[in-house]
Amino acid sequence: MFTRGTLIYIGQRLILILLAVVGVSSLVFLAIHRLPGSALFSEHLHGQQFQLLLHHYGLDKPLWQQYLNFIIGMLHGNLGESLVNRGVAITPIVVREMSVSAEVGLFALIFTIGLGMLLGIVAAVRQNTWVDYVLSTTSVIGYSMPNFVIATFLILIFAVWMDNFTQHTFYFQIGWSGRYGTIGEIWLPAFALGFPYASIVARLTRASMLEVIRQDYIRTARAKGVREIVIMVRHALPNALIPVITILGPLVIGIITGGVVIENIFGIPGLGKEFATSILNRDYNIVVGVFTGYAVLVGLANLGVDLLYVVIDPRIRY
Amino acid sequence: MTPMSLRILKALAVGGVTSLVLGACGGGGGGNTNTGLASNQTLTFPILGDFGTLDPAIADAETDTEISQNMFDGLVKFDNNLNVVPDLATAVPTPSADGLTYIFKLRSDVTFSNSDKFTSKDVLYSWNRAAAMQGAYATNLSGIDGYSTVAKNTVSGSALEALLEKNDPSVTMSGLTAPDPYTVQVKLSSPAGWFLTAIGLEGTTGYIVDENAVKQNFDNWWSNPATAIGTGPFKMTAYTPKQSADFAAVANWWGSPKPTLTKVHLDISVNDASTAITKYEQGGYDIVGYGGYSNLPVADVLRIKGTSSESSQLILHPKVRTYWASFNMVSDSSRLAKGPFTLDQGQSAHDLRLAFDLAVDKAKLVQTVCQGIVCTQATGGLIPPSLIGYMGDNNDPLAKYDPAQAKTLLNSADPNHTKTANLTYTYDPENALNKPTAEFLQSQWQDNLGVHVNIAPVSHSQFIQARLKGAYVLSRDGWQADYNHPQDWFDNLWGSAVGCPDSGCTTGYTTPAYDALLKKADSEPLDAAKADYAQLNQMLINDVVYIPLYYSVGAFLIKPYVKGAGTNAFFDHYWNEIQIMSH
Repeated sequence: MFTRGTLIYIGQRLILILLAVVGVSSLVFLAIHRLPGSALFSEHLHGQQFQLLLHHYGLDKPLWQQYLNFIIGMLHGNLGESLVNRGVAITPIVVREMSVSAEVGLFALIFTIGLGMLLGIVAAVRQNTWVDYVLSTTSVIGYSMPNFVIATFLILIFAVWMDNFTQHTFYFQIGWSGRYGTIGEIWLPAFALGFPYASIVARLTRASMLEVIRQDYIRTARAKGVREIVIMVRHALPNALIPVITILGPLVIGIITGGVVIENIFGIPGLGKEFATSILNRDYNIVVGVFTGYAVLVGLANLGVDLLYVVIDPRIRY
Repeated sequence: MTPMSLRILKALAVGGVTSLVLGACGGGGGGNTNTGLASNQTLTFPILGDFGTLDPAIADAETDTEISQNMFDGLVKFDNNLNVVPDLATAVPTPSADGLTYIFKLRSDVTFSNSDKFTSKDVLYSWNRAAAMQGAYATNLSGIDGYSTVAKNTVSGSALEALLEKNDPSVTMSGLTAPDPYTVQVKLSSPAGWFLTAIGLEGTTGYIVDENAVKQNFDNWWSNPATAIGTGPFKMTAYTPKQSADFAAVANWWGSPKPTLTKVHLDISVNDASTAITKYEQGGYDIVGYGGYSNLPVADVLRIKGTSSESSQLILHPKVRTYWASFNMVSDSSRLAKGPFTLDQGQSAHDLRLAFDLAVDKAKLVQTVCQGIVCTQATGGLIPPSLIGYMGDNNDPLAKYDPAQAKTLLNSADPNHTKTANLTYTYDPENALNKPTAEFLQSQWQDNLGVHVNIAPVSHSQFIQARLKGAYVLSRDGWQADYNHPQDWFDNLWGSAVGCPDSGCTTGYTTPAYDALLKKADSEPLDAAKADYAQLNQMLINDVVYIPLYYSVGAFLIKPYVKGAGTNAFFDHYWNEIQIMSH
């Protein structure tokens, strides 16, 4: 599927991603160290004790020296130790949290594409009927509401009301078990995260499908007696997908960053949850680690979306 | 599109959604409560933020100690009624006549969870290590002769371990000796009536670690189940930072009561209290509030209190934290705040402080901010009820509300309102009560004094750092007791012992009389010292050092089938006292 040119393109992109990751991490490193406050300072721990701790973590060294140590460590895959979880290495935490966020993001993406396209196709096929009006209205609601509002409503409905209504037999249980959670724990946050973007995809797919199904080649296929489902899936959909793929890049970034809110609301131990708490805690090393993780995720997700073009449209070559 | 293809699409849509919903839902618990034990003795509860460390030498946060008190033991500990009782020692020792020497006889039947035998050598190692590491509670050992030498240590990590192994004088307190494997002799540098309570503080510097386990990874041994070894009834079996931790009962544990729980699961992934409460109501947790997270949102507490099926599961218990507002009381080159309340401005500053105090309706504050539930009015001095040193209900004159006198005092001290122009009250908004408290104070000073005070939120970490440097004229203040002894309050907050006026001191307040009386009180046995500590509180009242606001109340949710769980003013009941009943 991938030609030599494509593989070279992937290699170039990976180098660019690495540079972007180093750039983002460096900027965040310098910025976070300018924030007032300290993770190590407390009502009980100040004065000489505080100075000793700064020394232990190398935070009493000049910033350039700390920065140099950080860069050397990062290039060796070592993001340092948490200041709040004393002595705990950060890299394994960030890698695990990145995998959790990627997992939730992937499920959200499935909702975004699957649900969005499904709604868009049905609305296009049933243009100007009540089905179209209902789906279009749902789409408008979807992309008009922030995901934290959607998430709160969903928790209220599925975790609280259904729990009460069914007397603890049929409800969404909040939380996260094990490293990767369960389908039962993922689907609702993934839906909350993906639904606003699914609405965008639905509107785009509808418009794109309406344009495609009026093309001559579709009319020809119908005239030849090809079954409608085959026309839609095999002839109309691939062409209607191109505009959808085009906006997939920004949507993926939106999904990844949207995880900051959703993970906090649903108690998912991913990068998004860490993002907020580590900044509040002034846990410098974790903050840098989280941003580094986000930079990696966004870079790889964008690369993945760009490579999808090759799969969808054979005319595109890198 | 043909009707058939439309049906397929509809079926896909309906089927997909249904399967997702079905896949998501789980069955809840339930059933009738009876007197028998449940077959599954697993206790599950959330902590709304990871513990910082479980190493007693450097533990700082309440969460750390609430967990580690179940993994480690001290020579003495507090029982649930806050009495100091023997733990690894056979009895609570009586000090020598001069108050300088304590001899601890140790139990000979104690083993660590890795089967290492516990001896006096472990006490010397643990305490010297804690003093040398200079964690937040290192000063609990400061009464021991030679502490000041060890406290100067700057060596850390494996290098410190090497020094400890060879009993290097730089990390060995001279007052700490072991005449035999089951005797520890402690010689203090001066009498300290607070010594036993300080070393009994759960999960901190007085608690004992196993050198064999610690030296495998000096700084990070506590986070690895293989090396997180203590003498307590529970041992760590799994820990995924920021996600979960599991603990199992130690088989054939030496102490009593023997644990009934076989497993304790901590969920660290939920960091929002309301979400945790929802999960508790779904049956996902057995307890909410353990592990130092008993400050549940007022709205949730009110809702649960009004729900007949749940109100009996809500436990409200006074905790040992007092909130007050502080003034900057010293004006010197190190303290930047200055302001109109400083001691060097004499009677007019005193009257201003009193005016600002009397202008606040504290009873209304408690109703407005805490709905009369999650805090109570602080009417008995700085030290809250249930602790030694509490002055008694309504005995703190600063708790009064007298707007007329407040106005009179203001008019005499600042007739043109020039001194009180552009004042700012600073607070940290992380605690949900601090913002409404600030707004309430602002409105009271406006309404009763005609003085507009700005309010400024500053993030907690930055706030604490700046406050201790004397950067705020008016600020949110408070203290949570570490142990049940007035020394914990008067040594740590005011006077030159803590560093006032210029180092580690919110108000800057220190006077020769305060310092002298504090030194005397600290050296006395507790019974004799009580009157002196009361006099210290009276000095603070006379000088209007603080505006008393409220004592905090902890809120816990405990399922009816969880027997033995609960809290006292300081800490959660120990896990080995808890049983899960059939339900």
